[in-house]
Amino acid sequence: MLRFLVRRTLGAAVILFLLSIVAFLLFFGMPRDPGLLMCGKTCTPANLANIHHVLGLDKSIPEQYWIFLHNLVLGSNGFDQGPCPAPCFGYSYHTNEQVWGTLMDRLPTTVSLTLGAAVCFLFVGLGTGMLSAWKRGTLVDKTVTAGAMVLSSMQIYFLGPLALAALVYQSHLFDKPAYNDFTADPVSWFTGLIIPWVILSTIFASQYTRMARSSMIEQLQEEHVRTARAKGMSRRYVFFRYAWRGSLIPIVTIFGIDLGALLGGAIITEYTFGLPGLGKLAVESVNFSDLPLLLGVMLFSAAMILLFNIIVDACYAFIDPRVRLS
Amino acid sequence: MSRGGRHAYAAISVLAAGALVLTGCSKGGSDKGNDNNKDKENAQRQQQSIKFGNAADSTGPAAEVPGAKSGGTMEVLQRDSYAHLDPGQIYVSDEGSLATLLHRGLTGYKATSDDGSKHEIVGDLATDSGTTTDGGKTWKYTLKDGIKFENGTAITSKDVRHTFERMFAPFINQGPPYIQQWLADTPGADYRKLLKDGPYKGKHLPDTILQTPDDKTIVFKFKTSHPDLPYALAMAGYAIVSEKGDTKTKYDRAPVTTGPYKIQSFKSGKSMVLVKNTNWDPKTDPIRHQYVDKFNITFNQQYETSTKTLLADTGADQAGISFNNQVDAGNLSKVLADPKMKSRTVSGFQPYVGQMNINMSHPALKDKKIREAIAYALPITPFVRAYGGTDAMQVAGGLISPTVSGYDASFDPHGKIKKPAGDPVKAKALLKEAGKVGMKLTFGYINTPEGQQYSTAMAAGLQKAGFNVQRQEIPAETYYDQVSKLDNNYDIFHTAWGADWPSSSTVIPPLYDGRAIADGAQNYSQVNDPKVNADIDRINKITDPVKAAAEWEKVDQYLVKDVVNVVPTGYYKQTQIAGSKVGGLVYDDVIGGVDPRRLFVK
Repeated sequence: MLRFLVRRTLGAAVILFLLSIVAFLLFFGMPRDPGLLMCGKTCTPANLANIHHVLGLDKSIPEQYWIFLHNLVLGSNGFDQGPCPAPCFGYSYHTNEQVWGTLMDRLPTTVSLTLGAAVCFLFVGLGTGMLSAWKRGTLVDKTVTAGAMVLSSMQIYFLGPLALAALVYQSHLFDKPAYNDFTADPVSWFTGLIIPWVILSTIFASQYTRMARSSMIEQLQEEHVRTARAKGMSRRYVFFRYAWRGSLIPIVTIFGIDLGALLGGAIITEYTFGLPGLGKLAVESVNFSDLPLLLGVMLFSAAMILLFNIIVDACYAFIDPRVRLS
Repeated sequence: MSRGGRHAYAAISVLAAGALVLTGCSKGGSDKGNDNNKDKENAQRQQQSIKFGNAADSTGPAAEVPGAKSGGTMEVLQRDSYAHLDPGQIYVSDEGSLATLLHRGLTGYKATSDDGSKHEIVGDLATDSGTTTDGGKTWKYTLKDGIKFENGTAITSKDVRHTFERMFAPFINQGPPYIQQWLADTPGADYRKLLKDGPYKGKHLPDTILQTPDDKTIVFKFKTSHPDLPYALAMAGYAIVSEKGDTKTKYDRAPVTTGPYKIQSFKSGKSMVLVKNTNWDPKTDPIRHQYVDKFNITFNQQYETSTKTLLADTGADQAGISFNNQVDAGNLSKVLADPKMKSRTVSGFQPYVGQMNINMSHPALKDKKIREAIAYALPITPFVRAYGGTDAMQVAGGLISPTVSGYDASFDPHGKIKKPAGDPVKAKALLKEAGKVGMKLTFGYINTPEGQQYSTAMAAGLQKAGFNVQRQEIPAETYYDQVSKLDNNYDIFHTAWGADWPSSSTVIPPLYDGRAIADGAQNYSQVNDPKVNADIDRINKITDPVKAAAEWEKVDQYLVKDVVNVVPTGYYKQTQIAGSKVGGLVYDDVIGGVDPRRLFVK
């Protein structure tokens, strides 16, 4: 297991390294100059050159990349804004704030949104999917399947404003979505995030319902399940003891990827509900051509996805003994 | 005061700041006639010249706001977080609005009426708006007694000197450049050579340029006349920075304030809390008030969200407002049609003027008849409609905004106000005279929902007049980069520009001086007319602001009517809303939005 983890971690580091090169090259390939955004209304070539110099954009791209990499690994004391310990993504062009600090500042919002939504969509998605598989062919199954189909075709940017209009602005049943620090006020934290959780999990839950149903039905047709039934084990026991465990593998795989992606930033959800998380930060970094922030958000998001992929792969061994044996 | 950084940012922020990002159409309501009259009133009031006040005008405290009371917390819903808090880096209007509560400069705009319509420039930290004895070459300011930073240290002329010297430092690159250029007597960014490290390496501006003979006196010495100095000094970008408290780039996150409020906490992209600055003395301030105990500012509130929240008018949001968010276009007509909702709104003009540029560098467009044909044919109605209708945009006749001195509401040489749908018949006749019926016209348009909408209808209007219009989409992010290139292939393209202070000296020279044509510069139509160039030099020397305003307006009329390098399209307007417990709600013409300094909780 240790060798497996070391091998996968090294692989992830290589992917992140390659991704940083691609992101760097793509940024400079854009027909947009970040210096122009800061150049004031009456911009002149000399003023622009000064901004390029201050931002370090007057250096060659390989040199800039080397500095970025050096700072990321070893940190830097060379910034006017102050020291920047590793992992140092530098300081934002737009806000002059340390990128790592900004990422850590926005992370709790995204973690809160992701974990709350994940609990909702796992619970609802797996529950309804298994129920549907258990009641296969009945009215319950058909209703759940149809409902999942409808919901999976919905979009957050449609459901979100609709929920806000109905539940917040008109009926005043819920608080306006906001992120409040859990440690300072857990009740406000919960009430502020409940609508984003429900909306985000609505879209995801429908996918998990369909996946859990099909995976469960597939498992129920496996030979070992039939054998267990033939040996006289009850349907309920076989369902939960053998079929359920086997059906989890594809679900865990997708869950790991979804969780990693959401932790990297639920862009549309955060934007729709005005939540200051990593997704919103990603949009801001693109809007302002903010290279340090852009690289920070991108690499952090990628690291999250890779981390959860490794965790998922490690989980297989615990879920399915065949993986462990192989 | 400007809402944009440079071009791309300027326009994007213009579009974003207006009700402009959102589509939808809006017809005022049943009292449309009244609204039109109000527009005229607004325009009339906003074109009035601004007086330079004397010592008596500059003495605090500011006149009480009728019915005002102290105390309470105000919720402020903002879409964008503040990128800059260092005065030297402030140029855009979101931060400019906030700066009215935090920072003070040598001069400032004092409202002389309770409706935010009349102003005069007075001494803010200085005892008056400045004295000059040689037509604007030398300006003398004296600091008031009892003025302090938030930490209790006295503000002295050393801080003033430091403020202006640090504007030359390389890291200060987003604020206004005017006074630095005037001190260095050079256009562009060459002024930095005068003090290339700012005051941080022991060098200072010589006494021949800036004198601070004692703790109270500051003398600016320019080589040429700059009668606009009191205006320029009132910009948030020239507010005073503490020499001892200057943390250079870190000052941008935690400035030492001089205004009635200080920053208790700032979480970039999330929230900000302002509390009373106990070292601010109202007796020294003729401009500001300190009624509200605390401002709770929350970011990430889109226009639609803030509008709906304030319309709902519940809980803490009853004392809610936004300094910069507008009523979103989708709700605008509903809000203005309901007297109850409308009573919680304020409206006014922004300083921005939209204009369709005709690329004068293209040989085919050198024929004035063709340019006139474009001017007559171009329909403005689609532009107004795309940005939310007449509540968000008014058809423009000239290039000078109603917010700027000298504006002439009657000027409409191409009949755009009377015929906003265009005059294809007259245009076709002109095109025939030029022998160019069917000529190809490349129309570069910004790829936003509004750009898509208005450009399609405008192209159809030009097509009707006999042009063969080819629309070319330009990504919004790079729009101004593309159109400000000298070698671009667009025959016509739309831009917007706002004055930095209510004088056309910040409109005509940067946009139409032929000697400033350069890649990335703002003379988008690439007009180089000897008469305009000469007029710019001549008017820049006029010290009387009223006379100068009249002269600038003549240049505006010459450009639109005789040169026809641009076709004015619209004057941007906006409507803002507040909760029912917000008092002192006034649209300030100079700020171009709600005046935060007068607000109180009912």
